[in-house]
Amino acid sequence: MDFGSLLHTISSITPDRPWGIDIPNYFWFTGSSAAAFIISSFAHVFGMKEYKPIAGFSLLLAFVLLVAAPMNLIDDLRQPGRIINFFFYGWENFPTSPMKWGVLLLMAYPLLILAEAIVLYRPYFTMKKGASYTKEQEEKDHRLGVLLGAIGIPLALSVHGYTGYILGAVHAIPLFHTPIMPILFLASAMVSGTGLLIILLPIFQKFFTDFKRIDYAMMQRLARLLAWFIVIDLVIRFFWLTFAITFNNEEKYALKLFFGENFWEVLIVDYVICLLVPMAIGFIRFFSRSLKWVLFAGVLSAIGVWIFRWNTVIGGQSIGKTTPFLLEYHPHVFGFDSILSVVSNWSLLIALIAAIMALFPWDKEMANYYTKEQ
Amino acid sequence: MPSKSRREFVKKATSLIGVSTLASTQAHALSLTNPGRDAKDARYVGAEGKRFGMVIDLRKCVGCQACTSACKSENKVPKEKFRTYVPEYELGSYPNVRKAFLPQLCNHCAEPSCVSVCPTGATFARKDGIVVVDNEICWGCGYCINACPYDKRYFNPITNVADKCTLCAHRVDHGLLPACVESCVGGARVFGDLNDPSSHVSQLLSTFPATVLKPASGTKPRVFYIALSGEIQSLPYSNGILDDAVRKREGALHKEWSSKGE
Repeated sequence: MDFGSLLHTISSITPDRPWGIDIPNYFWFTGSSAAAFIISSFAHVFGMKEYKPIAGFSLLLAFVLLVAAPMNLIDDLRQPGRIINFFFYGWENFPTSPMKWGVLLLMAYPLLILAEAIVLYRPYFTMKKGASYTKEQEEKDHRLGVLLGAIGIPLALSVHGYTGYILGAVHAIPLFHTPIMPILFLASAMVSGTGLLIILLPIFQKFFTDFKRIDYAMMQRLARLLAWFIVIDLVIRFFWLTFAITFNNEEKYALKLFFGENFWEVLIVDYVICLLVPMAIGFIRFFSRSLKWVLFAGVLSAIGVWIFRWNTVIGGQSIGKTTPFLLEYHPHVFGFDSILSVVSNWSLLIALIAAIMALFPWDKEMANYYTKEQ
Repeated sequence: MPSKSRREFVKKATSLIGVSTLASTQAHALSLTNPGRDAKDARYVGAEGKRFGMVIDLRKCVGCQACTSACKSENKVPKEKFRTYVPEYELGSYPNVRKAFLPQLCNHCAEPSCVSVCPTGATFARKDGIVVVDNEICWGCGYCINACPYDKRYFNPITNVADKCTLCAHRVDHGLLPACVESCVGGARVFGDLNDPSSHVSQLLSTFPATVLKPASGTKPRVFYIALSGEIQSLPYSNGILDDAVRKREGALHKEWSSKGE
């Protein structure tokens, strides 16, 4: 007899679930930031010349995303006024609380990007002041830039990898509890970061530079990069799900219930529409040559990763631990941890992008690569 | 010169901020734990040498919910929140059916997964094993609520931080029993010191086979059950059964989180 299916809980209560819409949004921001930094490091650290024109732009984007991201966390706290307690107390939990590592990373990483950006754009700042920028100085700055970039890569991987740890460490929630979570999060982060770059780059090149021209070759290159990142993401998800649902212990029953109930959102929307379609666009030359299709792929993949973050954070919490079946989540429209919070956070991001792009001479630096070509 | 005086101002302001930050750091002092534990406050230390726990004899539970209501009134647990409650289960299939009751509370685990993830040190286990939350330190991140495999933590809407069963530590520290034990009409809940071999809990555990909820989670719970049915031990994942009446009463769609009915 299958006892499991005959169980009834008659007087059931609704248990508390702490994390709302802010958290998937936060994961999306840090992930995209890490990805933008890695893409900028293609040129800065690994010397891949074809990514040089967007390296500076991408670095600034990484900075802005990571300045806006922690606001989500502060908004999610029930007692945001007690942030100082984090710094003063509870250090004995440092080895076992990924949240403890995270806050330190969240402070170190944007500072490092800012330092790298200042070094990168120093020639422009010095020239603006009227001072001369010597060859010796240039070499020194170049070496410093490579060094900062090299430190930044593990830091960028950590700043998003730790978010995977936060979830992976929670053995009470079957959807979170997998050691592959940090890698899975990094892989999907590369997808959303590239997607965001695909959306923003043509807008900025077309409207906010002197040369006012979209680099179509670059867009095609990014589309192809996106497609490869999606391949990596899908491979990792394949290993994750095959082990988690097929060969798992009792957690597999919860996952079967979850994926069965959310089949449409997870498989059709997230996997087919938001991952397979952009991948096809990136790999098929007919589509990747067209700016419209590439933009479409960028938007889809950025949204797709947001949905993945939502499905993981909200979906994981929806699985009952002591109560039958699943819980439902309806975010509030106003107040803490609401839809308005996320909208405000995006507004802050846009404002910060505008401010940082106005302060840094990214357009003049980018123009160098295009005027030389002509 | 204005620029010079501005520089002076910035210098002075920076040093002032620096000094005041240092001063405030010294006043608080960085702590591995939290101020209450550092000060060795009796409420934070508990009874040294003891290890409190509970044995719930399910043969004696009649599902009256006296414990649920005693807990709510003793601890002023806010509306719709529970530190302990007794879910009812129907086991078997018609016509061979029976009801089962499963009183649940915080297990005051020996390896509490809620404590190890706490980033502020607000939640901790006292020396007598009681897991508590310092509601003046907790910043309400909710990590512990997700980390608990037993759903036994909640956000207290009044203090706005994580809250949970304290085994009525305020009563225990004065030699009284927890409210749920005191009010249990069938004598199903037994509280005591697991370190003391002559205590009632130790004797029950040495007399009857007892087990814990979700043993696979590795948290080593210190709430033991006698006659716990195997079907409900791991609180298995099951299909939706909440009927619409309950959902409607709970105002499901107006709440942030609600049970999903069929």
